[in-house]
Amino acid sequence: MTGQHVSELEGYNLRLYVAGQTPKSIAAVSNLKKICEQHLSGRYEIEIIDLMKDPALAIRHQIVAIPTLIRQLPEPLKRIIGDLSNTEKVLVGLDIHPK
Amino acid sequence: MSSGDPKLPLFEDADATVAAIHQGDVDAVVVMRALEGPQVILLHGAEEPYRVLVERMSDGALTAGPGGVILYVNDRLCDLTGYPSRRLVGHDLASLFEGEPPKLVPEATVEASLLRNGEGPMPVAVWSRPISIAETTATLVRLTDLTVHRRAEQIAAAERFARSVLEQATEAVIVLAPDGRITHASWRAEQLARRPPIGCTFSEAFQLEARGTDDAGTLAHFSAESLDSMLATRPFHGVEVKLRGDDAKSAFLLSAGPLVDENKANVGSIVTLTDITERKRAEEQQTTLVAELNHRVKNILAIVQSIAAQTVRSSRSLESFADTFTGRLKALAIAHDILTQTRWIGIGLSELLAAVLAPYRSPEGARVTMSGPAIMLPARAVVPLSMVLHELTTNAAKYGALATRRGNVEITWHLRGGDDQLVELVWQEREGRKMKQASGGFGTKLIDHVISHDLDGSTKVEFDPAGVRWEIAFRLSIFAEARATASRSSTA
Repeated sequence: MTGQHVSELEGYNLRLYVAGQTPKSIAAVSNLKKICEQHLSGRYEIEIIDLMKDPALAIRHQIVAIPTLIRQLPEPLKRIIGDLSNTEKVLVGLDIHPK
Repeated sequence: MSSGDPKLPLFEDADATVAAIHQGDVDAVVVMRALEGPQVILLHGAEEPYRVLVERMSDGALTAGPGGVILYVNDRLCDLTGYPSRRLVGHDLASLFEGEPPKLVPEATVEASLLRNGEGPMPVAVWSRPISIAETTATLVRLTDLTVHRRAEQIAAAERFARSVLEQATEAVIVLAPDGRITHASWRAEQLARRPPIGCTFSEAFQLEARGTDDAGTLAHFSAESLDSMLATRPFHGVEVKLRGDDAKSAFLLSAGPLVDENKANVGSIVTLTDITERKRAEEQQTTLVAELNHRVKNILAIVQSIAAQTVRSSRSLESFADTFTGRLKALAIAHDILTQTRWIGIGLSELLAAVLAPYRSPEGARVTMSGPAIMLPARAVVPLSMVLHELTTNAAKYGALATRRGNVEITWHLRGGDDQLVELVWQEREGRKMKQASGGFGTKLIDHVISHDLDGSTKVEFDPAGVRWEIAFRLSIFAEARATASRSSTA
């Protein structure tokens, strides 16, 4: 994925669940990349899962609404629902402290 | 939004999920179905038909966000690249292409090389258009596989080339279907055909007659129907034929071979008519030349043998034999040089005299004078006449006018017209040694013999006190007769 491979100790491993190219899905991908580049540069890894192609992948993280972002690492697991357009909410939700 | 432990059940987040759906933060939900399992339901259902269309289309498609990051790829693009969508989404658009990424121009198509997993790059046409999705500007990109297109172009070019080869072939090429009907004919074949050949049987379009006697036997066994059937089904090699009604009387080699498709199945035959007229003509000319050369060599050997025998008989010593024989051979050689130079056409009488008498025609004194009309001597007269002139000259040099300082020779001739074309030549010597009438050695005999036998003429010699006088007459017309006889015998 875009971004660098990061160590599990300090890096963010994020997984974004989208549904094809619905407006919210596209906006979520775009917003997430922007936020990560700005606040987590060099410390993040993003995996984008298109549930339109494989809905069964929704089971693992019990995805109901799309788009949904899951913070897999660092633990604990966190979940943000929506297109991630509110940067403040995302930073708080992911527990990111602006540098 | 809220935090949660993966082990905690979903209802922990239920409130946040419901709130998000209510607030319009999401546009799709996952529902669990008893049989099918989880299914994605788009909250804006109108998009579904377009999504299906894009997923099923034969071109690759993707959406790139700001900065060129890939947000979405369709299944076809996954097929084309050999990568699953998760390996493409999130990557940079430029990373899909080999070398410099294509410069995208809205609504225009550019060509590029698409990288593939485990295979060589694929030529693609890249079309793009910017689009606004929500508040984001994205780019829609369509990638069309040009491989098939390129292959089609190559096949078309190969087909055009093959056609042009067929068209330009100097041989007439005819393609027959298994039923004997003509399906293709080259330009040359169309020229030779009696009617537009396509759709006809071979014998309808081309009427053959055998040329050689052997070939006539071969072809005589076949009716038009059998010939058509044989040409369409069996290999048939190099039978010499000509076409009935061909004004040029050209000779052709007729051949046929099977036409097979890529599975080696027989789908007809290829018949060729190769024009061998020029080759035949060259062969005939060569045969004639060899026969002519053979004839001439035999003639020369006979002449040499005869000269040698006669010279031996009339020579008193080995030295005199050597002198005389060498002189006569030289005369023969001069005559042959002339014939070679004039390509056996012949030579003017005055030119022949000049060549033979060259050693005695000094620039200061006109010891030999010549006068008479222009007469073209045929090739067959050149050797005998030059032998005669050589003998006259040798006699004059040894015993007559050319043996003294003041002596001279006057040669005059005229042509008596009419059918005979009689040449009368007078060789008059003056102020030379006085020759005795009885001196007639082989030289005199040879002159007599050659004029009467080879030139069918007559001689008269007078040993006048002033100098010897030869009167020689021969007919040019006999050479024309001889030629006519020779050509009759060669065609027989």
